[in-house]
Amino acid sequence: MRAFQAELSKLFSLPGIWLAVLIGAVAPAVIAALDAIAEKEAIIAGVSTRLPEMGYSGLGLGVQGVIILGVLAVSSEYVAESSETGGGQQMTTSLTAVSSRLHFLLAKAGAVTVISILLSMVAILTTVSATHLILGEYTPAFEGSRLAGAVCYWTFTALLAFGMTLLTRNGIIPLAVLIINSSVVSFSVLLHKVTKLAFYLPDRAGFEMFMFTSGSAHTPGTGSLFESYLTPLTGGLVMFAWVAVLLMLAAIVFRRRDVAA
Amino acid sequence: MRISSGRRITPILGAELDKFRTLPLIRLTLTVTFILNIALTAAFTSVSLQETTGTQNTLNTGLASMGYLQAGFIILGILATCSEYTGGQIRTTLTAMPWRGVQISAKMLALAMITIPAAFIMAASGVLYAFIMLGDTALMTEIGTVIQTLAGATGYLTLTALLSAAVGAILRRTTPAVVVLLGYYFIVSPLTRDWLPGYLPDKAGYYMYTPPSVDAGNILTPMEGTGVAMLWTLSLMAAAILLYRRRDA
Repeated sequence: MRAFQAELSKLFSLPGIWLAVLIGAVAPAVIAALDAIAEKEAIIAGVSTRLPEMGYSGLGLGVQGVIILGVLAVSSEYVAESSETGGGQQMTTSLTAVSSRLHFLLAKAGAVTVISILLSMVAILTTVSATHLILGEYTPAFEGSRLAGAVCYWTFTALLAFGMTLLTRNGIIPLAVLIINSSVVSFSVLLHKVTKLAFYLPDRAGFEMFMFTSGSAHTPGTGSLFESYLTPLTGGLVMFAWVAVLLMLAAIVFRRRDVAA
Repeated sequence: MRISSGRRITPILGAELDKFRTLPLIRLTLTVTFILNIALTAAFTSVSLQETTGTQNTLNTGLASMGYLQAGFIILGILATCSEYTGGQIRTTLTAMPWRGVQISAKMLALAMITIPAAFIMAASGVLYAFIMLGDTALMTEIGTVIQTLAGATGYLTLTALLSAAVGAILRRTTPAVVVLLGYYFIVSPLTRDWLPGYLPDKAGYYMYTPPSVDAGNILTPMEGTGVAMLWTLSLMAAAILLYRRRDA
C-alpha cells in the first residue's frame, strides 16, 4: 500500500502527467464538439446516420491523455540524469526502496489504473457536456453501459502503453505507435481491408465496448470501420486479453532484466 | 581565438555527421521506418489489388503510406536536436563549438544530408514495390511525373524532419516534442481538415508529392506547396536558432 502511495506521489509530481491530464480532459471534448458541429447540419437536414456515435467518437479518438500517462509512468523511471550528476536513473532508487520487482510493478500499474479511471470519468463529463452544449435537444441519451465501456477502453489503453514502455524502456516508440494508432488513420483502419483479423487488434476490439449500439447492428462482415463486428463484451475481453498478455510479458522481462537501460 | 568561419564549418559539420552516425536511436528509427514503410505499402497495394473498380495508379499506391512515413522523419528530426539535452551532452558540444549559430545550422545541414537520401530511398522503394506488384493492371505514369513526385516526396520528408528538429530545439525535451508534433500531424490536422486553411505545413507539403492531375481540387500547385512548407520550416528554424543563441543551455 505504501508502494502504491509512493507511485501515486511520483506520478503527480511529474509535470508531464499534468499535461496528460489536461489533454485527457480537453481532447475528447474538443473532438466530440467538432464532430457534433459537423453532424448537427446533417441532423437538421434529417439525413443523420451517425447520431448514436455522437460524443463517443471523441472518447474513442481522444485517448492521447492516458497514452501519455501510461508511457510517462515508466519512461520517467528510465530517464538518465546528466553525466555530471552521476548519470543515475530513478529506477535504481525505486528498486532500492521497493526491492520486490513484482510489488513495484503492481503498485505502478495500480497507480496508472486509478489515475486513468479518474481521468476517463473527467473526460466523460467534459465530453457529454460539450455534446449537450452543441447538439442541444438532439443529444442522444448516454447509456451507462457504454460509458463504462469507454472507461474500460481508456484504462486498457493506458495499461497497453505502460506495458509497451516497460518492454522498450524508452518513451518514444510506444508514444509514436500509440498516438498514430489513436488517430483517424490508424493501422487497424488500413489492415481491416486486408484481413478480418484486424478486428481483433486491441484498439479495434476495444471500440466495440462503446462505439456501437445494439440497435445499430449492421450486417456483419461488410468490413467498414464503423460497423460492429464483435459484441461489446467480446470486444472488451479481446482487448483485456491483449493487455493481460502484454503485461505478463512485460512483468517477466522486467523481473529478469538488468536495471540499466 | 579567431578562426575564419570558412575553416570552422567543415569540422563542425563533420562532428555533427559523426554524432548522427553513432547515435543508435537514429539508426534504429531509420531502419524501423524503412521496414514499416514497406509493410504498409504492401498492405496498401493488396487493398488496391482487391478494388476491381477503376484503374489503379502506381504512384498513388506507392506513396499512400506517406502519412505514416512522415512519423519516422518527425522522430528523426526530434532526436537530432533533443538527444543533445539528455545527459548534458549539450555542454560538451558547446565547449567544443562555442559558435552557437554556426553549430546548430551545421546540425540542420547534417540532418538534411542524412534525410534527403533516406527519404528518397524510402519513397522510391514504396513506388517500386507498388510498380512490381501492380504490374500491368496499373495505369502507366510518365517517368517525368514519377521523378517529379518522388522529388516532391523527398523534399517534403526532409522539410518535415528539419521542422521537427527546429521544434525539438525550441522545446529541448523529447517527450513533449513527440507529443506536440505527432499530436498535430496525426490528431489535430486530420480532424480539423475542414476548418483550418491549407497553408499549414503538413497540408501545404501534401501538395508537394500529389500529382496535380489526380484531382482538380488541388488548392496549391506543387511549387506553391513547396514554397509554403519551406517558409514554415525556415521560420521555425530561425526561431530555434534565435532562442538557441540567447538561452542558457
